[in-house]
Amino acid sequence: MKLACFFIIALASSLPLLSQGLDPAALLNPPKDSWPGYHGDYSGRRHSALTQITPENVNELGLAWEFQTGQKAALKCSPLLVNGILYFTVPNNVWAVDARSGHEIWHYTYPANKGFHIGQRGVAMYKDWLYFTTPDAHLLCLNARDGSLRWNITIADSHKGYWTTMAPLVVRDHIIIGVSGDFDNLRGFLRSVDPETGKMQWTWYSTPPVGTPNATSGGMTWMTGTYDPDLNLIFWGTGNPTPVLNGKPRPGADLYTCSIVAINPDTGKLAWAFQPSPHDTHDWDAVETPVLVDADFSGKPRKLLMQTSRNGYFFVLDRTNGKNLLTIPYGPVNWAIGVNENGEPVPNAAKEPAQDGRLIAPDEGGLTNYRSPSFDPQTGLFIVDAHPSYGIYFAKQADGTFGWAGADYGIWGKGVLDAIDYKTGKICWTHELGPGGSGAGVLTTDSGLVFTGDALGNVLALATTDGKTLWHAGAGAPMESSPITYELDSRQYVVTGSGGVLFAWALPVNSGHATSK
Amino acid sequence: MRLSVVLPLCFLVNICFAAGQKKPPGNSAPQGAIENGQSLFLQNCAFCHGRDAAGGETGPDLTSSKLVAGDVAGSKIGVVVRNGRPQKGMPPFDFSDQQIAELSAFIHAEKTKAASQQGGRRGVDVADLQTGNADAGKQYFNGAGGCSSCHSPTGDLAGIANRYQGLKLEQRMLYPEGAAATATITLPSGEIVTGRLAYRDEFTIGLQDASGWYHSWPAAGVKYTISAPAEAHVDLLGKYTDGDIHNLMAYLQTLR
Repeated sequence: MKLACFFIIALASSLPLLSQGLDPAALLNPPKDSWPGYHGDYSGRRHSALTQITPENVNELGLAWEFQTGQKAALKCSPLLVNGILYFTVPNNVWAVDARSGHEIWHYTYPANKGFHIGQRGVAMYKDWLYFTTPDAHLLCLNARDGSLRWNITIADSHKGYWTTMAPLVVRDHIIIGVSGDFDNLRGFLRSVDPETGKMQWTWYSTPPVGTPNATSGGMTWMTGTYDPDLNLIFWGTGNPTPVLNGKPRPGADLYTCSIVAINPDTGKLAWAFQPSPHDTHDWDAVETPVLVDADFSGKPRKLLMQTSRNGYFFVLDRTNGKNLLTIPYGPVNWAIGVNENGEPVPNAAKEPAQDGRLIAPDEGGLTNYRSPSFDPQTGLFIVDAHPSYGIYFAKQADGTFGWAGADYGIWGKGVLDAIDYKTGKICWTHELGPGGSGAGVLTTDSGLVFTGDALGNVLALATTDGKTLWHAGAGAPMESSPITYELDSRQYVVTGSGGVLFAWALPVNSGHATSK
Repeated sequence: MRLSVVLPLCFLVNICFAAGQKKPPGNSAPQGAIENGQSLFLQNCAFCHGRDAAGGETGPDLTSSKLVAGDVAGSKIGVVVRNGRPQKGMPPFDFSDQQIAELSAFIHAEKTKAASQQGGRRGVDVADLQTGNADAGKQYFNGAGGCSSCHSPTGDLAGIANRYQGLKLEQRMLYPEGAAATATITLPSGEIVTGRLAYRDEFTIGLQDASGWYHSWPAAGVKYTISAPAEAHVDLLGKYTDGDIHNLMAYLQTLR
C-alpha cells in the first residue's frame, strides 16, 4: 500500500502543473470555478454560492459570448464545466468549448442511428473521461481531451423500444445510468458500470419481468438522480407504468413505477421507496429532481428530500427512511380522492382514461416536467417552473394493452414560476411565464437571484424574495434546459441554452463588480 | 406576430380536416424511400407521433389522420411539416422535397399497416363521444355553464356540428385555441390604438391594426387592456364534471 502511494506521488509530480480531468471526490464539494455534474453538486438544489451578480447590478448583465451548435435539435442539456472547459450536447453530438471565449475545442458526432432523438441531457465526467448516452441506448466513453471514442457499450436493445437521453451520475467509481422507453411494454432499470471498462457492476429493476401476470412493466429511469454521501444512498425517480393509459392489466400500485427510490450505489440494493403516483394512468413520471436539503421541519433538523412531481403534488420526505412529511398540490389537480396514511395521493378510479374521455388536471406534460427546480436555502423557497393545465384522456378496449393503449390531448395550459415554502407547501409568489408553458429550468444564487426563462423565449433574472423581474434578454426560443453558473478569472458567468444556441451572460469586464482575489 | 402567423395555418389545417376522407393513395413508393422516411421519422417525429406513426406522447395518430388520407407524396404533410404547428407545440422542419416525399412514403406505409391490424389502434371516434344527454347539455348551456352569455345556438353556433365533428368539436368546445383577442392601447400622448392582439410578453405588447400592419410598444411605456372573451373557457375547466362535458357535446351535436 505504502509503495503504491509513493508510486502515485512520483507519477503525479512528473505531470504538468496544470491539472486536467475530474477527481470524483470534487463532486462532493465542487469548487466555484466548476459545475462538474448534471445538478452542479449532488444535492439537486441547483443553487450557487456565487454573489458577484446581485439584484442591484443584474440590470448590467450582458452577453459574454454565444455558441451556435448549428443544429436543429434544441439544447436540453445541463452543461458541465471542468477546468475552464464546458461540455454539452444535443442528440448524437458532444462539444467541448472554452468557457472563457465560447470557441470550440472539439466536436464529437455519433453515427446516424434509428433511436429516438427526443433530447440529450448532458454528459458525466470521471477523471479524463466523459460518459454520453445515445438515442439507440448505448453508453459511450470519450476522451475529454479530444473527444475521441474510448469504448461504446450497449445499455439496452433499442429495437425493442429503449432509448437513452440522460446524463449519468458519477459516484466514486460508479457510472450510474438510466433508460427511457414507454412506448412499448418494457422493464425499467438502473445500472452501474465500471468507469474504466464499462463492465456492469449492478442492475436494479424497477418492475418485474415483462409477462408476469397482473404485473406492470415500465418505470423508466430517465433523469439523473441525486446522492447523499453520508447515507451513501442515491435517490432516483422512476417513470410511468406500461401499458400507459390502460391500468386494467396491471391492478394495484404498480411498484416501483412513478416512485422515488433510495438505492445503495455500491450494491444496487433498494433501501426504501415512496410512490408519488400509485397506479398511474396519466403518464406522470416521478423523475423530477429529488432535491436534497438539510433543514428544520416541524422544529427539528431533518435530512429532507423534496420533489415537485409531474402529477401536481409537492412532496417532502425524510430521506433517511422515505417517510412522508408533507403532500400538497401546487396547482390545479383533479385526479385524486385524497392522500393515504403514507402520504401518497389516492387516484380516483373515475378519472382513469375512458372511452368517452375524462378531463384531467394537469395534462400529460404534467404540472412540471424534467427541467430542474431550485431550492434557495436563505428564503426556504422551492422554486419550480409550473404548468397549470388540463387534458382529455381516452382509452377503450380496442386500444389494447400494449404501449400507449389510449389517447390523450392537451386542452389548455400556461406557464408560471411558483415559489413554494417547503415547510407548508404555501405558494409565496407566482410569476406568470406565458401561454402554453415555459419548461425552463431554474437556478438560484446566494445573492438573491433566480434565473429562468419564459414561454416566449426571454431569459429572466428575478428577485428571489418576491419574484419581480430585474433583467431579461430575448433569446429567440424558449429555454428547454436548466441554467448553470460558475466563476472564472474572478468573473461570474450564467450559462443558458435556447434553441440550438448556448449563451454565457456576465457583467461587463470593467464594471468594478469583479470580486477581488 | 406569433398569432398572426399561426392562425392562417390552423385555418388551413382545419380546411384539410374538413375536406373529408379521400381514397387513400396507393402505397407505390419504393422500399428505399420508405426506409429513408423511417429514419427521418424516428429521428424527428416518433417521440410525439409514435414509432409507428399511430400517436405518441403528445402528437396525434397520423395513420387515422384525414390530412394524411388526403396527402399525395407529401402534398399535405409537407405543408404541416415545413410550417410546424407552433400552437400545438410542433416545430417546423426544414426538409427537402425528397425528404418530405420519403417521410410521406413512410407514414402511408404505416397507415396501410395499421388498417390491416385488428384492435390496438389509438384514437377517438365520433361514436365514442355519444354518451351524453342533449337536454341536460342544453340546460347546462343556458344555466350553470353560462355558455349562453356569449354564444347562441342560432347565431355563432348555428350549424357548428356541420363544421366540426367528434374530437375536434370537443376540443374547440373546451378551449377554442387561437381565438382572437383585442388589445386597446393608450399611448403616452393619449392616443388610443385598437387591434388584434398579436404579441404579448412582460416587456412588449404588439397588435395588428385594421389595415394589417403590426405595431409594438414597450409594455411599461403604455397602458393597455386585453379583451379575450374565449378565456372564459379556462374558468370552466375547473368546474366541469365529465358528465357536463358529455352532455354539452350531445347538445352541440344537435346544432346542425
